[in-house]
Amino acid sequence: MSGSSSSTSPPTLASINDVSALFQTAKKYEELNVIGTGAYGTVYKARDLHNGGQIVAMKKVKVALTEDGIPLSTLREIALLRQLEAYRHPNIVRLLDVCHGGQSLERESQLVLFLVFEHVEQDLESYLKRAPGPLSENRIRSMSYDILSGTDFLHSHRIVHRDLKPHNLLVTSSGRVKLADFGLAKTYDTDMKLTSVVVTLWYRPPEVLLGVSYNTAVDVWSCACVLAQLHTRTPLLPGSCDSEQLHCIFRLIGRPPRHEWPENVSIMADSFPDYPPQDLANVLPRIHPQALDLIKGMLVFDPAKRLTALDCLEHPYFTDEPLT
Amino acid sequence: MPYWYYDKKDLQNTPSFRDGILNETENRYRKEGARFIIDTGSKMDLGYNTVATGVVYFHRFYMFHSFRTFPRYITACCCLFLAGKVEETPKKCKDIIKVAKSLLTEQKFNTFGDDPKEEVMTLERILLQTIKFDLQVEHPYGYLLKYAKCLKGEKVKLQKMVQMAWTFVNDSLCTTLCLQWEPEVIAVALMFLAGKLSKFEVVDWNGRTSKHNAWWDMFVEDISMDLLEDICHQVLDLYSPPTQLSGAESPPPQLGNKTVPKNEKPSVTPPTSASPVTVAKAVVTPVKNGSDAKLEPPKIDMRFTYPGYAPIPPYPSIYSAPPPAIPPPTRLPLPPGPPLSLYAEPPPSTRFPPVNVPPPNYFPPMPTRGPMPPRGPIPPGPPPPRPYYPPP
Ligand SMILES: Nc1ncnc2c1ncn2[C@@H]1O[C@H](COP(=O)(O)OP(=O)(O)O)[C@@H](O)[C@H]1O
Ligand SMILES: [Mg+2]
Repeated sequence: MSGSSSSTSPPTLASINDVSALFQTAKKYEELNVIGTGAYGTVYKARDLHNGGQIVAMKKVKVALTEDGIPLSTLREIALLRQLEAYRHPNIVRLLDVCHGGQSLERESQLVLFLVFEHVEQDLESYLKRAPGPLSENRIRSMSYDILSGTDFLHSHRIVHRDLKPHNLLVTSSGRVKLADFGLAKTYDTDMKLTSVVVTLWYRPPEVLLGVSYNTAVDVWSCACVLAQLHTRTPLLPGSCDSEQLHCIFRLIGRPPRHEWPENVSIMADSFPDYPPQDLANVLPRIHPQALDLIKGMLVFDPAKRLTALDCLEHPYFTDEPLT
Repeated sequence: MPYWYYDKKDLQNTPSFRDGILNETENRYRKEGARFIIDTGSKMDLGYNTVATGVVYFHRFYMFHSFRTFPRYITACCCLFLAGKVEETPKKCKDIIKVAKSLLTEQKFNTFGDDPKEEVMTLERILLQTIKFDLQVEHPYGYLLKYAKCLKGEKVKLQKMVQMAWTFVNDSLCTTLCLQWEPEVIAVALMFLAGKLSKFEVVDWNGRTSKHNAWWDMFVEDISMDLLEDICHQVLDLYSPPTQLSGAESPPPQLGNKTVPKNEKPSVTPPTSASPVTVAKAVVTPVKNGSDAKLEPPKIDMRFTYPGYAPIPPYPSIYSAPPPAIPPPTRLPLPPGPPLSLYAEPPPSTRFPPVNVPPPNYFPPMPTRGPMPPRGPIPPGPPPPRPYYPPP
């Protein structure tokens, strides 16, 4: 139990001696080493000193304080993460604790938040890198299902992940996949982002690259890119910059017909060559025909015509044979 | 994940108790803090949901801290401030403090220190840490409306019953019930109480099966009559005048060693004078916060008789504005007859929105419950909704 106090100080907060102690609940955790540095925070491997030294993953996020304390958007996002946790979805990383380290010493107007997660063996990026050879069809199918289940769960709670990619998918020692790194979009936005960190574009759908409004369908596109990568172990659409990424996409799915091109976009459809659509089977050779059909249904330019995550889960690729 | 339900032993052995504050005094502090949140919230036109969330934070906070360390009114302000943000009905900290100042005596407001806003800001971080960022809180209101929809019977009477139950839910915030039972259980119990008092007997309901003995079996499994009665008593106890000293105005600053505060003044008697009814002595033994675990359950079966109940004295003055849907409580002498008729009049309601016209989507859709705690198992709700919304 954190924060319980038996202070003997008189009742004015400013003079309570143990206020700083109250803030130090992050001391419940002993930081071991950095396991990930992202654009917004650092993830540490840590020991939970109050729980038999259990190993956890602790994410430090800096929050800019406003005149009225902790921003509403941050509180809403944490409330939602906490609420989601009650479902204990098997494909969502467990959120064990949330605490803060008090106002940061360097900057009065900042609060350091700690999100404590279960520690999962590795992320999908390193899993695929380390894989000695192609993954078995069964493994691919079950991982694909896990990813789509977690995504559908978020969508059913009105959360758009926005950044699904192998780095944000964790693989347990038994090969199950769990989604991580979601739900703090607004908290991040208020904070200064580290510009030095390169954000990968490879999993971004065209509507995001074009800068038009987007919805849950963005995650289905990203899932498709990840699913394809499970088969080949190399990224499907490795563009090097925004426009190069769009070229990459259109070279694969063809330049969309003019009537599908979204309105209010500064880039014209004509600025791209009239790429014909490629047969996905050539890009993903030896792939299970149902898997191919599924991915085709997900890599659709018009977000409204893309399969939803729930549609994907009901696709024959998963339903024809039982998952093992 | 934190677990927020306590048994009665835990509720007695609180940080305040260990700090030398009597249980009764603590309960009064809790009641005063809760009422203050309700008052301040109402004055600022905050909805019942925000107010209730603030009160739950308040009760949870004092399961980890003593009233001696953290004076109740500033904690209350902070709870309301945080609840406002979490429920997306934010109020400026300085505005809350302004209202608080107008509602408190100078002496009480002095506990806010020289820089009240800074104090609340500091306290916000302590509060968040204490409640472990578990910010989303469910309340009985939504369940009350949901359950009422399933009950069959005369519409006017049902309406009356729901209105009364709603008021009981408001008032239950002044008890520690939210630290003992899930909102579903509280909703059932207070509807049960309101049904008895308004003489609305539920004989049939939608979704009834042969397995159901009572309508609530549909929503909460294994809820015993003893439990229902215990919950009802805890709320009814709010309306009975305190029978003994209930503690000092404020905990005296601690002087080294911990001693039970002495020289406690009797608290101000609540304004019972508004009622022409003399308060009958309750026949039913209320199950007090388990000072004795083996305490016999009340002998009277609440399902059938009510003569023993003390009539509900006038409502706490804070609930001043009756909703338009219900006539103001009469102050005329009550019609002659058996005491039962006293219960025919629904208690005046609060300023919170009247329940007869819940705006559409007033309550967020019910998600399926997470793993239920061991007590009061509740059948899972409908599957989570699947609307695919674009992000805001
Ligand atoms: N629960 C966890 N267990 C193990 N490793 C994790 C966990 N969470 C994150 N990581 C590692 O840390 C990296 C960064 O974490 P992430 O939550 O994605 O933060 P960021 O917002 O900085 O991308 C991930 O790519 C992953 O390798
Ligand atoms: Mg990440």
